[in-house]
Amino acid sequence: MPAASAPSRSYWAIVWRQLRRDPMALAAASVLLIIVAAAVFAPWLAPADPYKASMIKRLLPIGSAGFLLGTDELGRDLLSRLMYGGRLSLLMGVVPVLAAFGIGTAIGLFAGYVGGKLNMIIMRVLDVFYAFPSVLLAVAISGALGPGMSNSLIALTLVFVPQVVRVAESVTTQVRQLDYIEAARMSGASAFSIIRVHVLGNVLGPVFVYATGLLSVSMILASGLSFLGLGVKPPEPEWGLMLNTLRSAIYSNPWVAALPGLLIFVTSIAFNLLADSVRSAMDIRR
Amino acid sequence: MNPSKLKISRWLAALPLAFSLHAGLHAETVARYGISMADIPLTTGQPDRGAGAYQFTGHTLYDPLIAWEANVGNRPGKLVPGLATDWKVDAKDQKKWVFNLRKGVKFHDGSEFNADAVIWNLDKVLADKSPQFDAKQSAQVRPRIPSIASYRKLGDYSVEITTKEVDALFPYQLPWFLVSSPSQWEKLGKDWNKVASQPSGTGPFKLDKLVPRERADLVKNAGYWDKTRLPKTDRIVLLPIPDAMTRANALLNGQVDIIETPPPDVLPQLKAGGFKLVQNVTPHVWPYHFSTYPGSPWTDIRVRKAANLAIDRNAVVQLMSGLATPAKGQVDVTSPWFGKPSFKLGYDVAAARKLMAEAGYSQAKPLKAKVIIAQGGTGQMLSLPMNEFVQQSLAEVGIDVSFEVVELENLYRHWRSGAKADINAGKGITAINLGYVTADPFYAITRFTDSKYVAPNGVNWGGYNNPKVDAALEKIRTTFDTKTQDGLLAFVHQSMVDDAQMLWVVHDVNPHALSPKVKEFVQAQHWFQDLTTIRM
Amino acid sequence: MFAYILKRLLYAIPIALSVTVVSFILVYLAPGDPLNAIAPADAPEEVITALRSAYGLDQPVPVQYGLWLMRAVQGDLGLSIATGREVTSEVLSAVGNTLLLAGVAALIGVVAGCILGALAGYRHGSWIDRLATALSVVGVSIPHYWLGLVLTILFSIWQPWFPAMGAGPGGSSEWLWDLEHFRYLVLPAVTLSVIPMGIITRTVRALVADMLAQEFVTALRARGLSGIAVFRHVAKNTAPTVLAVAGLQIGYLMGGSILVETVFAWPGTGFLLNTAIFQRDIPLLQGTILVLCMFFVALNLLVDILQPLIDPRMGRA
Repeated sequence: MPAASAPSRSYWAIVWRQLRRDPMALAAASVLLIIVAAAVFAPWLAPADPYKASMIKRLLPIGSAGFLLGTDELGRDLLSRLMYGGRLSLLMGVVPVLAAFGIGTAIGLFAGYVGGKLNMIIMRVLDVFYAFPSVLLAVAISGALGPGMSNSLIALTLVFVPQVVRVAESVTTQVRQLDYIEAARMSGASAFSIIRVHVLGNVLGPVFVYATGLLSVSMILASGLSFLGLGVKPPEPEWGLMLNTLRSAIYSNPWVAALPGLLIFVTSIAFNLLADSVRSAMDIRR
Repeated sequence: MNPSKLKISRWLAALPLAFSLHAGLHAETVARYGISMADIPLTTGQPDRGAGAYQFTGHTLYDPLIAWEANVGNRPGKLVPGLATDWKVDAKDQKKWVFNLRKGVKFHDGSEFNADAVIWNLDKVLADKSPQFDAKQSAQVRPRIPSIASYRKLGDYSVEITTKEVDALFPYQLPWFLVSSPSQWEKLGKDWNKVASQPSGTGPFKLDKLVPRERADLVKNAGYWDKTRLPKTDRIVLLPIPDAMTRANALLNGQVDIIETPPPDVLPQLKAGGFKLVQNVTPHVWPYHFSTYPGSPWTDIRVRKAANLAIDRNAVVQLMSGLATPAKGQVDVTSPWFGKPSFKLGYDVAAARKLMAEAGYSQAKPLKAKVIIAQGGTGQMLSLPMNEFVQQSLAEVGIDVSFEVVELENLYRHWRSGAKADINAGKGITAINLGYVTADPFYAITRFTDSKYVAPNGVNWGGYNNPKVDAALEKIRTTFDTKTQDGLLAFVHQSMVDDAQMLWVVHDVNPHALSPKVKEFVQAQHWFQDLTTIRM
Repeated sequence: MFAYILKRLLYAIPIALSVTVVSFILVYLAPGDPLNAIAPADAPEEVITALRSAYGLDQPVPVQYGLWLMRAVQGDLGLSIATGREVTSEVLSAVGNTLLLAGVAALIGVVAGCILGALAGYRHGSWIDRLATALSVVGVSIPHYWLGLVLTILFSIWQPWFPAMGAGPGGSSEWLWDLEHFRYLVLPAVTLSVIPMGIITRTVRALVADMLAQEFVTALRARGLSGIAVFRHVAKNTAPTVLAVAGLQIGYLMGGSILVETVFAWPGTGFLLNTAIFQRDIPLLQGTILVLCMFFVALNLLVDILQPLIDPRMGRA
């Protein structure tokens, strides 16, 4: 449970120190850093145009001259496509979590702070979304809206918001009842400043931990939607879609075919390990 | 892999099978056929899911009045008598066609086939007010038989069909019209949904079992009237496996014996495993059919020609691992209808860019267009990769194509509605990618070029309207001499090419992969295959 | 106890109703005229008119919802656009297959997860703990549709032990509980089981480790209580949480199976959803979602009711 007072600067310093000493966290973070950097700087780093197709060069094996990781079914440089693909895949993994983090925290704080009937109504409404298994909810929403990347983003955000709200609301409710907040309220401080000064600090930690845990879920779900053809449209490179289109090469060139799936896997593991490390580092005051 | 190891593991895998087999051991021969559709096509008479579906639940369970010969592989098939033993046009009024019907043919339910059954079936799909009218079957077949104006019974075994105007090509429309049993419909409470699971036709197979989306069992109809087309296998199990990779895996794994369109990249693996690959010259083309209605980016012929010059068709053939041939037009150059187009399809990026520049576009200032395509399915070849390649090629000359990807049946809906319909024009869709069967003059040429067949009256999707072509088509319809017909058809085809009516990419070779257990399978030079030729 | 069950039941009703609202709204989420979402584009005029009045599309939305709900309660979920078949029969035949797959996958996941988690918790810090932890991270991180492909290649093609697709040699309608049919279930179920396996391993490991670290357990052990007695104690106290987590997981699997069903051509609801989406068959989409979510609500209810029955702490209350 969070500390009685808003965490001080030194708390974050301790968390940071703890993380730096955790070899697992360091390893996961460096893997992620490499993947993110490769994706972000793809236009400068990528050795070739990710859209340039050439049939005579199709499905070259890993290590071919000029094509470090081989080529895909249309003869496009796989390394470049994986780098560019990382942009969309990571984007689709991170954006819904960030959006849910923002929206969910705001709703959770509001609901927890006002309390009473309004809180109950908000939480019961969100319970409905809990009645939908998350994949199903995402599929249903993108299915109804129609395929497309923005629709997948909307769908995934809607999946995560209620979960974040629950975490934020429960912490806020606990904090709100503490004596010093009651005192601040008596002294005439505005609700906004009380939330900002006293509540937010307490809530952000747990919500942050929760949200880091969602990153890998979001990655896998997003690539899953693309795999089904509900997410990114061709010819945009995206790992889930690439995994799907490279499937037929699995006999002739298994390693090339395995790469997009492997990248989703590695990124998702790194997210999970990092989330675990952050969770244990932030629990130090427990 | 070590062959002996393979043998042992095969044997191991067969163990549980052997245990479960003892119960149902009999001499029935079974062929399991993995088809590329997402569902079993309609079984009530007129199949849905496109022309390719006729070979599965159309010409297996039912017969047309005039059939297409699909049990020969060494030459193109031709029209042959089906439920009609002969047909002829009335010399005095060439709109009237008289069909003499085959006697002694019985539906699977035992009832008699006769002129009443034919009239009843025509009403079923053409007379909205008839009690047996079935909107679903009607939607499928109406665009395929656009010439019929009226019909009447002449005798118990003879009917007369009147066409809207003189149409010498009319017989080519008739293999698409199938005859289902009126008495079965009566018996099942006049409910087409019930007929779907217990259909009754006159065809070489009966439907034994239907599990929607999973399987359909066709069993041999021993009493079939055409003894040359008695099924060589007792039971054919159709298994819809839309995903090409899953289909190939099922074949490799021994779960099915035949598959349609194996993924080209799996061919080496299939060959190494002792599987046979059969293919044949196939009247088929994989095009982008343009809309030329106002507002479409394709109204400018320079753009349409540029598109045709932007594609390296040999590269597409390579992508298909050789299972395709480059297109020079709607039909192959060897066809008598090819003609002498002055516009030569080829790969010439410089010329394409020049045409685009004249039209006012470039790579920096590209023309935007939206194309509706299928995820995959019969006739669509490698839909996504091929479309991606075309998209990339068009981008190089300044055409920025975006896709609307839909399921095949949905694509047909967009196709039948025509480019002008709201579901197309309203969404900005100005071209459609749909594999076309081009077996006969009607299917290859006239249905796409005649301004009378502008959707929804037919499938002239993009609103092609060329008065000279219309005049030639008029002549074709009134010419009952094949030579003259061919000459006129060549003129129409050459106009199609010179007008760059479509972006023609490649012709399919309709590959099938067979397990070594399949002893015989005649691959016709057609999109239809005759399932009676399968022998295990 | 009765009061508790009653309270849970009453609480489930508004949730179930809300689920119907969300399913209903899906038609309106679809772009364009809702009529386009429920009628084939080339439907003749009389079909469109009939649909319009059946769905009450000319009436206010709440009335439409009421009409739709009335029919849904009576088991009429409309007609599939693509096939014209009744959505209810399509969904019900598919739901059984999905339940079979999800149930077996959950069983594998729960059993494997409990064993791994318990071992890891008992031997906290040992190599087996590290292995179990690694496996659980892999389980929740691996894109299972990819795992499915890899498993197919390995155990269906390279070593042809299991079928690559389908639900039995005769299709799902001829499902039998025998070895031959079970072979069809192995690959998809194992593929699907890695997620609950990972989650349950984690949960059980943490619970067992916590429990063993508690003073009274150390005291029990010190007093020379046998390993079995300690185990019984631990099992009793972890069971309710494991049940809750497992229940939730079965629910998630029912939704999550869409990807695995697509890879293995398993004729369940996921397969149905996939075709429904690409055929823009909104009634089918709607019906499938509704039925699956009702199962999910019922499952949650069941877990809520069962949990206190086996929870020693709640028993005292």
